[in-house]
Amino acid sequence: MNAVRSGVVRQLTPGRLVAYAALALYAVVSLYPFAWMVSGALKGRDEILRGGHLVPREPTLDTLVDTWSRLHFFDYLLNSVKVAGLTVLGVLAVYSLASYAFAVLDFPGRRFLFWFFVALLFVPGITVLLPLVILENKLGILGTHLGLVLPFVNGTAPLTVLLLTNAFRSIPRELHDAARVDGAGEARIFWRVYLPLSRPSLITIAVLTAVPTWNEYVLTRVSLNDESRYTLPLALEALASGNVPRYNEIMAGSLILVVPVIVLFLVAQRYFVNGLTGAVKD
Amino acid sequence: MARTNTIGPWGRPEAGPSPRRPRRRRRSARRQWLTGYAFVAPAVLLFLVMGLYTVGYSVTLSFAKWNGFTPDWEWVGLDNYRDLLYADPSLAPELRAAALHTAIAMIAVPLGTVAIALPLAVLLNRIRRLRGLLRSIYFLPYVTTGIAVYYAWRYVLEPDGAVNLLLRSTGLGSLARPQGWLADPDTALGTLIVIIIWGSVPVATLLYLAGLQAIDPHLIEAAQLDGAGGVRVVRHITWPLLVPITAAITLLGIRDTMQGFQIFLLMTNGGPGGHTDVLGLQAYQLAFFQGLSPTLGVASALGWMIFLAALLLTVVNARLLRSSQ
Repeated sequence: MNAVRSGVVRQLTPGRLVAYAALALYAVVSLYPFAWMVSGALKGRDEILRGGHLVPREPTLDTLVDTWSRLHFFDYLLNSVKVAGLTVLGVLAVYSLASYAFAVLDFPGRRFLFWFFVALLFVPGITVLLPLVILENKLGILGTHLGLVLPFVNGTAPLTVLLLTNAFRSIPRELHDAARVDGAGEARIFWRVYLPLSRPSLITIAVLTAVPTWNEYVLTRVSLNDESRYTLPLALEALASGNVPRYNEIMAGSLILVVPVIVLFLVAQRYFVNGLTGAVKD
Repeated sequence: MARTNTIGPWGRPEAGPSPRRPRRRRRSARRQWLTGYAFVAPAVLLFLVMGLYTVGYSVTLSFAKWNGFTPDWEWVGLDNYRDLLYADPSLAPELRAAALHTAIAMIAVPLGTVAIALPLAVLLNRIRRLRGLLRSIYFLPYVTTGIAVYYAWRYVLEPDGAVNLLLRSTGLGSLARPQGWLADPDTALGTLIVIIIWGSVPVATLLYLAGLQAIDPHLIEAAQLDGAGGVRVVRHITWPLLVPITAAITLLGIRDTMQGFQIFLLMTNGGPGGHTDVLGLQAYQLAFFQGLSPTLGVASALGWMIFLAALLLTVVNARLLRSSQ
């Protein structure tokens, strides 16, 4: 006890105290809207109108249960999981192959192709939104989940290629050559050596893809008509656009929307933080 | 996380054919080419289907007038660009206002992000206890950014919302906004900028923290032994190592505020009275909400002007930061 205490005393210099105070303050700033989100979701119909208290006076789970079941949020959650899941799989499959080629293989045009994919970072989504809708209409996939997944996968190309190519390049060349000598082909080396060694980067890419896809609104808004295909953001918007927006229900819907990504982040963050910072350190 | 590959990013030797087998050289090189193309094929194919068509279509459309329904386009050359810049009195003034708001956000967001994230990372780097927990908390705004958290902010910014409540209860009631923060023309744009900064601080803090932790403490010790004070250490050792990170953060900030408009669409839709109109939002409205007016070409032209501006700013930004290094 004494030892623990003296340790604490030694650590808490005035400078540290100020540091902790500032850091705690920003933690409050970070959490502020979430605190009110939870608070709003726990309020009943009458209390939300009276407003004004972070701690609900008569907390109730009815709003959450209602939003979840009566408003079919479970169905929308499944749609969101499907779209985000397929997008992540697509991104990992398509761009890990391409990045491996850019990082490890030699072929004419690879520099051009690499920079071409990276340069796409600057094409504003809004510029291609209308042609995309027209194209999907022609292909007959407008309004389907596939019609969301394909452009989402394509849209992540610049950042994914950049990060994964960096990650693959940081793997020692000797491993590749050794596997080569042992008779492994490129496909095998890719699958057995490069992919397993790049797990943190792949998980980072998965999170960096899943989060914006989960929250995506604009393309989803202009392409989906059929309510049964709605993803959570659209369901939430539909809920909020009622004649009298009820903030308790909107906050309950928002909570249903954010909890899965928070859980995903907490599960993946060990890899995520390392993968992200490792990829950018260069 | 040191780079183990000592050959430069595009150094020739790393992927050349093996010199140990000269006879098989040409054949194996060609095989590697084919393997390379096979590996990039899915990405290229996807781009050819989803990307090339849309980009080409959009560029072409920017030289035409079309309402989306008539069978033929009316070719107008550079007229759409001219209309946007000065010629059309129904477009140009609005566009200038939107451009001004975009510019304000574009400057304020990276500045604000760096101003908060850098000190936060320095402080975070100094402590040991609770660092992991705080890092996770700081990161929440990033993973949740989108419609849900925008609604939460709207709830908080309502006339009787939590922000006004906080101000009133701390004796700063004169600062409260009775119409709510987003309906007040004086505060709407500033409020949105603050929320964007709030959402971009997480990644910036994380990157700065990583940068700080990569600095070799011996380097700083050596400088201190040579008589360098705190300011000089920061100026000559810490800051130069953080410049590339700052460049990346600024770049992302410029790009996102230039192109992004989701938050503006969801929280104010340009209101009140056009005070939060931005370029991306204008393009969106010209493309999707003008009924039968032939505005699709103008929308495309606006999109490409945003693209060119973003590209230009990025290049300028990269140059400036490189010369300051």
